[in-house]
Amino acid sequence: MIGLVGALNELAVSTAKRLGVDDAVALTSQGNERMVRFANNSLTVTKNTKETELYVYLGKDRRRIVAATSNPDESSVRTFIKKLFDSLQSLPKGPDYASLPEKARHYKPREEGYDRKIEAVGTELSELAGEAIESARKNGGERSAGAVVASVTTSSILTSSGTSGRDRGASITLNIRSFSQNDASGHGLSCASKLSGFDPAEAGKRAGENAKKMVDAKEPEAGDYEVLMSPTVASNLVDLIGGFSSAFSVDAGISYLVDKLGKKVASESFSLSDHGRMNGALDGRVFDDEGIPTRTTPIIREGVLENYLHNLTTAKKSGKVSTGNAGTISPHPWNLEVGKGDSSYDEMVKSMKRGVILTSNWYTRFKNYRTGEFSTVPRDGAYLVEDGRITQGLKGLRVSDSLERIFSSTRLISKNREWIEWWEVDTPTLCPWVLVDGVKITRAYE
Amino acid sequence: MKLEELKDLADYAIGQARTAGASYAEARIHGASGNESLLKNGEPEPAVLVESFGIGVRVLAKGALGFSATNSLDRRSVKQLTIGTVKMAKSAGVLLKKPLAFDASKPVKKKWRAEEKQKIEGGDVKWLGSLLREIDGRLTSEEVGVKLPGRFLTAEASLEEKYYVNSDGARVESRVPRVHFFGILTALENGETAQRMIQQGESGGLEVVERLDLVKRVEREAKTLGEVLRKATKPPEGTIDVVLSPELSGIAAHESVGHPQEADRILGREGAQAGESYLKRDSLGLKIGSTEANVSDDPNLPNSNGFSPVDDEGVEGKKRRLIQDGYIREFLQNRSTAAELEVTSNGASRSVAFNREPIIRMSNTFVEPGEYTLEELLKEVKLGVYFASFTEWNIDDKRLNQRYVGLEAYLVEGGELKGLVKAPVLEITTPKLWGSVKARSRKMEFEAATCGKGDPMQGIPVWTGGPDTLLSGIKLGSR
Repeated sequence: MIGLVGALNELAVSTAKRLGVDDAVALTSQGNERMVRFANNSLTVTKNTKETELYVYLGKDRRRIVAATSNPDESSVRTFIKKLFDSLQSLPKGPDYASLPEKARHYKPREEGYDRKIEAVGTELSELAGEAIESARKNGGERSAGAVVASVTTSSILTSSGTSGRDRGASITLNIRSFSQNDASGHGLSCASKLSGFDPAEAGKRAGENAKKMVDAKEPEAGDYEVLMSPTVASNLVDLIGGFSSAFSVDAGISYLVDKLGKKVASESFSLSDHGRMNGALDGRVFDDEGIPTRTTPIIREGVLENYLHNLTTAKKSGKVSTGNAGTISPHPWNLEVGKGDSSYDEMVKSMKRGVILTSNWYTRFKNYRTGEFSTVPRDGAYLVEDGRITQGLKGLRVSDSLERIFSSTRLISKNREWIEWWEVDTPTLCPWVLVDGVKITRAYE
Repeated sequence: MKLEELKDLADYAIGQARTAGASYAEARIHGASGNESLLKNGEPEPAVLVESFGIGVRVLAKGALGFSATNSLDRRSVKQLTIGTVKMAKSAGVLLKKPLAFDASKPVKKKWRAEEKQKIEGGDVKWLGSLLREIDGRLTSEEVGVKLPGRFLTAEASLEEKYYVNSDGARVESRVPRVHFFGILTALENGETAQRMIQQGESGGLEVVERLDLVKRVEREAKTLGEVLRKATKPPEGTIDVVLSPELSGIAAHESVGHPQEADRILGREGAQAGESYLKRDSLGLKIGSTEANVSDDPNLPNSNGFSPVDDEGVEGKKRRLIQDGYIREFLQNRSTAAELEVTSNGASRSVAFNREPIIRMSNTFVEPGEYTLEELLKEVKLGVYFASFTEWNIDDKRLNQRYVGLEAYLVEGGELKGLVKAPVLEITTPKLWGSVKARSRKMEFEAATCGKGDPMQGIPVWTGGPDTLLSGIKLGSR
């Protein structure tokens, strides 16, 4: 193992240049993730993973290849780059080739927003998990399952045109699910980039309270309802929109946003942006996988689709500039932000005539990515609202609709927003409560 | 890096863990390498090479389970990590209500490999790219009969190698090559689109491509999309019969039988992520289906995507009869759930990479074959729908309320297949589905799938499959 990631990048790029590539990028990430998982109020496993991974991009004569190796000793890297180069030369030329920028950039790690305290969190994870479990228990969650995770990553880049730099990130998250009688369940999250903003007790309280309220849940009648989506539920759908806004997905025909640039795809109250860097964000870097500076990109502004997310290749193909969203192959969002509204949660509930509140969901699957038709399965706290009042817990329901119709029928958005990242939301998302009209709810026919 | 060179490191890790106070320790040197080609609308995307190699160590210390992993494969790093794992597990004991134990499964000493006729190493990115271009050539030919403006195709040749040892005496070395194809086809006609995701894969060498008849298979799927767009009409309503193809039988077996019979879910371990189960620890013997409901999981099927004759706890993988004649017969077990439930592990514990803990996974889950032909099943149907393929699907986290939306689906009238119907929806509970099984065909087919579970997520290769399955008296909807 080479001690310094900078030396690893230098070795990869210099080897590639000696072989005669036109473009090369070496990106090394070193990560440490510590996790405590629990179920039935008891520890299930502790985890600690430490990894160094080298990602390489090579381009020559309109041919492109990418690679990742977790085998970063000196001789292995040399052999790996040689193998890559041989493979590269065997490929057909592609029509879409964008050279790396000639101008070299140099990046420094962000000082703001990086909490060193998260690096040191270890045995305290069990205590934080215990705090969440106890809070859930006090509020009605008889037994809880979940995971608390502290992670830090350092990334370092070097390109053949001399761009170099380093950045780092840290986050701490808790996902807790509590159960009461009759398998009633509730869900809570706490996601923070700083230890001081991490609140396991509040997450446990929410999980416990929702579990308690769901004890007498019943199945609803199928039909169209107003649906108030919690930040957890809304961010699951917003994360998908983020993926669909990738120019790669659009080009492949696996996005409902094909041919929609400049067109209305959501209600005027809905705006969505991607941020490479943002205070409080759980992810992101100052540079992307091609060494381009990351930035803020408005995706949907006041209901109108304003930008796709680009890397150098997709940008060149469509006559745009890179938005600094390059991933291994496809552009991807870093941190999503839904613009805040002006309603309070209470005002939103009071405005509902016949509606459903959803606090968590899973298993969102599409009939057709091109049309955006999907269904998703609510779980944990779900409540019937009649004339502005919560009257009943609901179970056994499914949302069956389309992304464009849902976000075009958004009526109210809350002032308050929360960072969400968990099993069902890959891209950290700062998300409000979202109230939508006329959402189709189904249930098993029998 | 060669597996052979690192065997000593696995033994060293176990020794260090035991010295640090672990009552049990295991170490897995786990490597995966792969070549992948991607073709988007006929144009090559960057080829991909991946190699992942590292060590995963798992310990039991004072009844607490700890797992750690690193790709720093020197003794100093492994010692530091292993001792840290034992320390972290011990310190987390404050959260432990009941000490964890492993069952007394017989430790396996074995070297095994999946059958491989044409060496997987021949599957370089040039070879894979040629395969994709051949498929794409068919997709853009006039014979397909429909425009496919969206054609995203990937092909991968991969190799997974492991060396596993534990302090109970297991010592297992394995080699599994795999070939995997994935594609999303988007057909367009008169402003309407239809989309099909195709996933095919097996363990084996490059001969898998021929065995799957991959080129013709993808071409057939494209032609069907055109037919669906041109001809599909509204499906019948009300209570009718439904015939599930092997593809539908397989996904139903996986989602509503395999998953709820994973013992870790039943015991609550996955509660905050993949969920729990409608079944409880005392549900063995529960009647859940008709006498025709027979579902199994078998890690020993030759060439299968989930081929795993020995699991990642060093236990022999046995065929699991999940539902037999309508009764819940057996759960999928690892060594800790087996100890908790006072049974013996049936070898269902697998991990996808060095940095993932082994957890309970399905391997190849399927409806057992029956005695009839598809034609004989259809003859039983006065009015019904034959689901040949599906698109959108999902299920709740207790595995009781599931939905499958048909893509290629046909009206069945008077015992005969008629025209295509558009997006029929089977939204049904698990007991109703398996309680409605009336008969099964003899034909067995399997589909490749990647099953997601765990935290961090582990997507693991499996097969889903079965025969044609006749369900009687089903309420059908449409999208």
